[in-house]
Amino acid sequence: MSVNRRRTTNTIEVNFLARWLVIVFLIGLAGLFFVYLKNQQHAVGNQSRLVEAALREEEGRDEALKAQITSMTSRGALQHRLDDGYITLQAIRDTAIARVTPPAPAEVDGVLRTASRDPESRFGPGVPQRAVNR
Amino acid sequence: MKGTGERIGVVCALLVLIFTAFAWRLIHLQILKHDYYQEIAAEKHDTRQVIQARRGRILDRNGEELAVNVPVQMVYADGSHIQKPAAVAGVAAPFLEMTPEELTEKLTTKSKYVVIRKGVSEEKAQDMIRALEKANLHGLYLQEGSVRSYPNGEMLCDVLGYVDHTGHGADGIEKTCDDALTGQEGFRWIEHDRKGREIVVYRGQEQLPENGSDIRLSIDMGLQAIAEREVDAAYKTNHPASATAILADPNTGEILAMASRPNYDPNKFNQAKSEEMRNRAISDIYEPGSVFKIVVTSAAYNEGIVNDKTQIFCENGHFSYGGKIIKDHHGSGDLSIPEILMKSSNIGAAKISLRMKDQMFYDYVRKFGFGTRSGIPLPGEIPGQVIPPHRWDMLTKTRVAFGQSISVTPIQMVMAMSAIANGGKLLKPKLVMSKGEGSAELTEAPVAQVVKTESANYIANALEKVVGNQGTAPLARIEGYRVAGKTGTAQKISPHGGYLEGRYIVSFAGFFPVNKPRIMGIVIVDDAKLGETANYGGSVAGPVFAKIGEKAARHLDMDPEPTDSVSKQDSSTAAVSAR
Repeated sequence: MSVNRRRTTNTIEVNFLARWLVIVFLIGLAGLFFVYLKNQQHAVGNQSRLVEAALREEEGRDEALKAQITSMTSRGALQHRLDDGYITLQAIRDTAIARVTPPAPAEVDGVLRTASRDPESRFGPGVPQRAVNR
Repeated sequence: MKGTGERIGVVCALLVLIFTAFAWRLIHLQILKHDYYQEIAAEKHDTRQVIQARRGRILDRNGEELAVNVPVQMVYADGSHIQKPAAVAGVAAPFLEMTPEELTEKLTTKSKYVVIRKGVSEEKAQDMIRALEKANLHGLYLQEGSVRSYPNGEMLCDVLGYVDHTGHGADGIEKTCDDALTGQEGFRWIEHDRKGREIVVYRGQEQLPENGSDIRLSIDMGLQAIAEREVDAAYKTNHPASATAILADPNTGEILAMASRPNYDPNKFNQAKSEEMRNRAISDIYEPGSVFKIVVTSAAYNEGIVNDKTQIFCENGHFSYGGKIIKDHHGSGDLSIPEILMKSSNIGAAKISLRMKDQMFYDYVRKFGFGTRSGIPLPGEIPGQVIPPHRWDMLTKTRVAFGQSISVTPIQMVMAMSAIANGGKLLKPKLVMSKGEGSAELTEAPVAQVVKTESANYIANALEKVVGNQGTAPLARIEGYRVAGKTGTAQKISPHGGYLEGRYIVSFAGFFPVNKPRIMGIVIVDDAKLGETANYGGSVAGPVFAKIGEKAARHLDMDPEPTDSVSKQDSSTAAVSAR
């Protein structure tokens, strides 16, 4: 009897089942992971969009402020303020100027230069003179 | 049992058929109709986002900003994203300085791109977007842009020009260097979601913009400010029709300053009158008067027709030639070449021209750059008018010799006088030093050697006497420097032919220091309201030149010349003796 029952009962192939369960589980896991990564990608993309927008906004504000500073400190604007009396020009006496290099002495013509243009006194002996920015 | 098997077979067959149909449909949609549906999807979601290139700045030779960009936003609507136009308008209208009704009307559209307002400030635009997001409303978007700003206002307006509503240069350097300044706009293909937000993951092809190059001019804003101030003062004091001043480096042809009145503010160019927008330095022609005597004298000296021993009899001020009388302001007898220049003798200049062949004289006039555009990189330059010898009558040559019957532009006169200052080389005026950061400095080769160095130096030394006590322009002297120059006082041409009585264009063109010229300048005052007795080049334009020169020398920290050489010019003031 017992022999017959064993013959009519299907055996569960645990190994086979387990293998497929693992495969399906892994595929499922991979799918979920893929969805997770995709979500992450979108979230990061969204974040970067927001950061880019914020950066653009800041850049724009920075440029706008720079343009404002340029127009407020331009020669023309300062001239207008000078003419309107909002600012004045004060002569600076020679004694009030602190020089980092010693001033050039008066030359043979007796004229004292407003700035030292002697390369050695400005940059030290042997140092080539830097181009004077006009 | 058999029946069960058949039923199962039928069900399976049906299932196979159904799934085959689905599979076929899938193949149809995904493969056969792929391009068609992709196009529809792309049309709905893909957008080519333009990335604007920044327009290059314009700088002076020391890097001072002359034209900059102020970022602004353009607000546009995508009608397909707007569910409630009235609600969106209610929130956005105050930021756009529009009424809600006006905005609602514009927003009631299915169009995907409707420009709502241009030139909205960065701050207002961002505030508007935040307010819309807070109210959970969509459909209004921003597109970056910029407006051109000229921080110095009217200063240097003729050189800078302006940018029109299309964002391209319409005048001045903005126009001539438009290609370099504009750059190349970029783009990015983007997909957006139902709410119009970009889906960054599906960002497509992208090309970054190439920003425009910065243009560095030869203009020195320190000198420009000096020239502007003095020209402005002359304009307000003498009430002329116009006043112009140009400063240049005679050794390189670099234009250091260019100012004229009337002028305009390029920030408000649409409010300017056409009269104010003309760059008189390059587009106004005038009869130069006695300044032109430098051409005939240097040409004759260069050809050996006259020399330092030559004496010309100046007919005591009245010379009858060709049935007409040529007059001098002060009659003289025999005069040397330097004396002819010093006293500005018309008769002397006319007689020198008569010693030259017509074609030779004409060739020298052309070699000095008259009758040809100087090539300054500004729009609207005109070549002036030089009558060719075959159209001359008996008097033409003598008239041209003292600056009549010829029309020149101020820039031509500057370059011609520079040729005298630099040893005879005619230079092309240089206004653009470099294009783009770190780019090599643009160099210009001399156009021609007009006269020999020796001839140029001889005339330069002779011109030094013009600012002496006996000369026509003692008021053009600059303390501490040897100045050479020539005055010009020319009657204005009547549009109906002939000359206008009592109306003059006066000028002074000069350079200093004589032995090593660094500054070349011209001042032209057109029709000053001073009366005939006071309206001379030496008394109106000369002092303006002196004031500009004195301040320019201080600005450039130029070494004053040794006192003994300057004293040759006799520093005591004297009345103007001749035109």
